[in-house]
Amino acid sequence: MDKLLTFRTSLFSVQIHPGSLKINCLLILGTLVIAVLSLTTGSLWINPLEVITEIADPNKGQHTFVIETLRLPRVVLSFLVGGALAVSGLILQNLIRNPLASPDIIGVTSGASAAAVFFLSFLSGTLGTEWLPVAAIIGATITSLVIYLLAWRQGMSPIRLVLIGIGLAAGLGALTTFMIVLSPIATSMMAYVWLTGTVYGTDWQDVKALLPWILVLLPAAFLMARTINVQELGDQVAINLGVPLQQARFLLLAISVALAGAAVAYAGAIGFVGLIAPHIARQLVNRSFAALAPASMLIGGSLVIVADTIGRTAFLPLDVPAGVFVSAVGAPFFIYLLYRQHR
Amino acid sequence: MMYPRLPDQNRSPFCATASNVLGWCLVLVVSLFHQVTAASERTVEHSMGVSQISGTPTRVVTLFQGATDTAVALGVIPVGVVDSWVEKPTYKYLRKDLQGVSHVGQETQPNLEMIVGLQPDLIVASKRRHEKIYHHLSQIAPTIALETVFDFKETLSMMGLAMNLEQRATQLLRNWENRIDDFQTRIPRKLGSQWPLEVALLNFRADHARIYLKDSYAGSILNDLGFLRPSNHPEGQWVVKLTTKESIPAMNADVFFVFMTADDPAVARNYHLWTLHPLWKNLDAPQNQQVYQVDEVAWNMSGGIIGANLMLDQIYQHFDLSPGA
Repeated sequence: MDKLLTFRTSLFSVQIHPGSLKINCLLILGTLVIAVLSLTTGSLWINPLEVITEIADPNKGQHTFVIETLRLPRVVLSFLVGGALAVSGLILQNLIRNPLASPDIIGVTSGASAAAVFFLSFLSGTLGTEWLPVAAIIGATITSLVIYLLAWRQGMSPIRLVLIGIGLAAGLGALTTFMIVLSPIATSMMAYVWLTGTVYGTDWQDVKALLPWILVLLPAAFLMARTINVQELGDQVAINLGVPLQQARFLLLAISVALAGAAVAYAGAIGFVGLIAPHIARQLVNRSFAALAPASMLIGGSLVIVADTIGRTAFLPLDVPAGVFVSAVGAPFFIYLLYRQHR
Repeated sequence: MMYPRLPDQNRSPFCATASNVLGWCLVLVVSLFHQVTAASERTVEHSMGVSQISGTPTRVVTLFQGATDTAVALGVIPVGVVDSWVEKPTYKYLRKDLQGVSHVGQETQPNLEMIVGLQPDLIVASKRRHEKIYHHLSQIAPTIALETVFDFKETLSMMGLAMNLEQRATQLLRNWENRIDDFQTRIPRKLGSQWPLEVALLNFRADHARIYLKDSYAGSILNDLGFLRPSNHPEGQWVVKLTTKESIPAMNADVFFVFMTADDPAVARNYHLWTLHPLWKNLDAPQNQQVYQVDEVAWNMSGGIIGANLMLDQIYQHFDLSPGA
């Protein structure tokens, strides 16, 4: 076994596995390559060197508008959204101790979807679409709180959380469909695109709005690394080791909800990223949260970048929502996971 | 500065005053001044703000069906259009004019990079579809945005102003109004006491049916022509969705005009099922064999002045009136 490097302060401790560190560095490199390749492709191909010089020095060259205004914010937002969903999924899978957990099942996605569709159907006429993310975040928060309160019985057990989450998600799904049926066709078209998940038309405003969430929440998740690792060993062990279990669980859940809620608010209900990315990460790095979190984030981010790049290039001139391609990979992967669980 | 739409009408009170001649001179000078400035620079107020447009745009990109139709009507072939909803990729009635024109994707998510590549000097969008990307579009070229996608008269006058073809737009609108007047004088002679007819505009989808109301595209045209609607139709809306056959009685009227994508088997099947229902057979129009299928492109999809005229042609044909003035 490799030697672990341990950093410890009174608030925070982390063990770093050198092999995982190396793989994470490789993942960073891979993500950068994917991002640059994504920036080169589109309705016209731009030389990677030109892309890199353009980013290093925005020089008002002939492709400045396409790279700086159309492609770059989209790639950055894709990365942030994918990364946030992946870390959110990772936290949930560890917390609930179920490999099939993801932001979709604890009501974040369904709550945000219901709120977004409600907004599109009834409010977008009076308020501008810039309020859509706010509606989605409110929906995600309220739903998660309701699930948490309903699952609370002298403490919160993960299994009750899952069951109530699935129940409420089904109910909200029905409500969403109901609102789409009631709403005029123009808004139902927008609602379908939103429910698929898309980063189409992203501008720097969106990136600026999402970035603070990520910058606060990811370090917060990282600070909780040691309690996450211990919680995986079971409630009793965790309590015996001195983890304030309910408190830690609530905080982690809140971080997970906020990460997924913010991501979904800006990119719509992109499914499966939060499920797949942590699983791929577990194949690559060791099972400590400190190694898994960056790996999941990089993989989730790359996944959405790739999906969106395919979406906007494979069927030119069509610009297909990124969510379509994430689901195309995600659904078979989910079935594979179920299959492996049963064996 | 706002260019007055009807400069001489706005100022007509002048001519009633004692300084008659002076007034007219003023009007002349003012409108001449406007003509000159209009050629170089115009201000168009639209649903997403105000756009400054100079010169006569020649490279126009149209991002919804009605805008494409209207550009062709104004005599400007767009350099980029979006895919049609049926008869893909271009409605048959526009195919001849739009041969070889680039497509920039779908109305809901047009490909921004391709629009950049076309180097347009005017983009015509709709707030309903393109609110999110308006900011991007307006960085590519001056962009005007209609509130909806089906108000063909507003589309025509706004595009006329933006494209420096106001006279042509006014002419097209005047022709349209003349045709409406012509219909209104002929139809009572043809139908006698049956006029005004009470009609319902129905549309069948794969999983539901719709009643199109007064504020819809075809609905507003039927309104202008003088058709009546059943009193139970809601006001101020453009469509009612009927999701169960229990609501069939809400459709009732003397005459049904039905449009749908009939070559879609799911739609055809749904239409068949609804029309088999006993409630359908109780309605006035089916009982009197007054159910007519009409062309969905002209009646619903086109959203432009050419489409509107096609719809009117079909109404003339339907009532066996010789084409009007």
